[in-house]
Amino acid sequence: MRNLLFLCLLISVELYSQGTELHVKQGSKNHVEFISDAPFGKFSGVTDNVDGYMYWEGNNYTTNSSLYFEVDLKTLDTGIGLRNRHMRENYLQTDKFPDASFKGKITNVTPAAQGTFNVDAEGEMFIHGVTKYNKISGVLTKSSNSDYSIKTNFNIKLSSYNIDIPSIMMVKLSEVIELQLNFNLLAVNKTEGKK
Amino acid sequence: MKLRSRTVLTLTFIIILSLQGNAQISWKKQEAVDNLPLQLFHSPQSINLPTVETLQQGDFEFEISHRFLPSIKDGAKDLYGFDGPVNMRIALGYAVTDDLVLTLGRSNVDDNLDLKGKYRLLQFKETFLPLLVGVQFGIAKNTQTIRPIASSGRAYQYFGQIIFNTMVNKKLGIGLVPSYLSNSNIYRSDVQNSFTLGMNLQYYVTNMFSVLAEFNPTVNGYLNRFNSAAFGFELETGGHFFKVILSNNAKLNPTQFLSGADKNFGNGEWRLGFNITRLLKF
Repeated sequence: MRNLLFLCLLISVELYSQGTELHVKQGSKNHVEFISDAPFGKFSGVTDNVDGYMYWEGNNYTTNSSLYFEVDLKTLDTGIGLRNRHMRENYLQTDKFPDASFKGKITNVTPAAQGTFNVDAEGEMFIHGVTKYNKISGVLTKSSNSDYSIKTNFNIKLSSYNIDIPSIMMVKLSEVIELQLNFNLLAVNKTEGKK
Repeated sequence: MKLRSRTVLTLTFIIILSLQGNAQISWKKQEAVDNLPLQLFHSPQSINLPTVETLQQGDFEFEISHRFLPSIKDGAKDLYGFDGPVNMRIALGYAVTDDLVLTLGRSNVDDNLDLKGKYRLLQFKETFLPLLVGVQFGIAKNTQTIRPIASSGRAYQYFGQIIFNTMVNKKLGIGLVPSYLSNSNIYRSDVQNSFTLGMNLQYYVTNMFSVLAEFNPTVNGYLNRFNSAAFGFELETGGHFFKVILSNNAKLNPTQFLSGADKNFGNGEWRLGFNITRLLKF
């Protein structure tokens, strides 16, 4: 009986040593920004409200990998209250689609400098009720056994996500919006259960 | 004893099984929290009455408003009012916090200079209809009177308002604005006060276009000649609100507007006017 118990424990430990799971570290300096650079003027919207996870098994980052990140669009701040409201209510419709998200898997990882890796991911980008297949590249930095950070820049086209570009805006939006994300991740200690 | 060890074994299996189900991903989506302040009307003011809407901390709002004195009834000879003369107001508001806006305004009528503060007091999101409650207080000095007044102190006027706003279906905004005005007519030898029950409606046809109407009956105290009424439309862009209106009241600064109208809309004596506000951030 005791042996059986021990075996069970062994199996469970075995199970948990397989995967690495990272969660977005809340309360750290996470930064999500969109930049609209139109001829009339440049403006940006910022939030630190990003959440999600990244998972892989083994040491090559890609085996059985999955990742999911979401950004709370209601909290985007462009610096002007009325503009925030127009963005939420007229263009992003955040009461219907509060989050933008990316769900996918890690397809390729190449080591760059010490502790940094160029990571390619592909999956589904969900914005404003529209899901699009997308490939995104970023840099994963490992600063300790449990601390990681991700930095990525990419562009999205507003019309691809059925976001109307307002014809009369205080600052006109450009059709292509640049997204910059820079956030921290913390490895979840599996033997102690959830973070 | 045997039963107990079996229980332990069973429990262990259950735990392992449950952990196995979890083994892949332990991340869980957080329950969404709605921390946004309730916002109903789009603009911080209706035609003359305030709404509870404020600005974001640090935002400025510049206002320029006109009321053309000849009524549209006077017709083409005064170009429906555009020939003037005209009452005008310029004002600048500043959001001290997300809930408090201070506005300094000036009107060419008695060179009335007014300072008012509007505070967003309460919000009820979960009620049958959403409800916002705000208060507004102001002081005005008539810096250049056209006739002598009883004493220099009589140049000052004061007002206070409680603002109730609700919105039906995100389309029809309804406002109730009980207002109190002290020293309603600076030219009267005795001090007059007024209590009015302002009400306003605004229907948002699209995100950027709405029609609106206002009625401000005096329920007690001094009334100029007629209760004020106004209606018109509002065009909203990224940082502007344009309102084009018809009103029987040509006064713009709050202490002057609240004392009542001089024209009778029952006779079709409507005047053209406009408000333009521009949001600024430095």
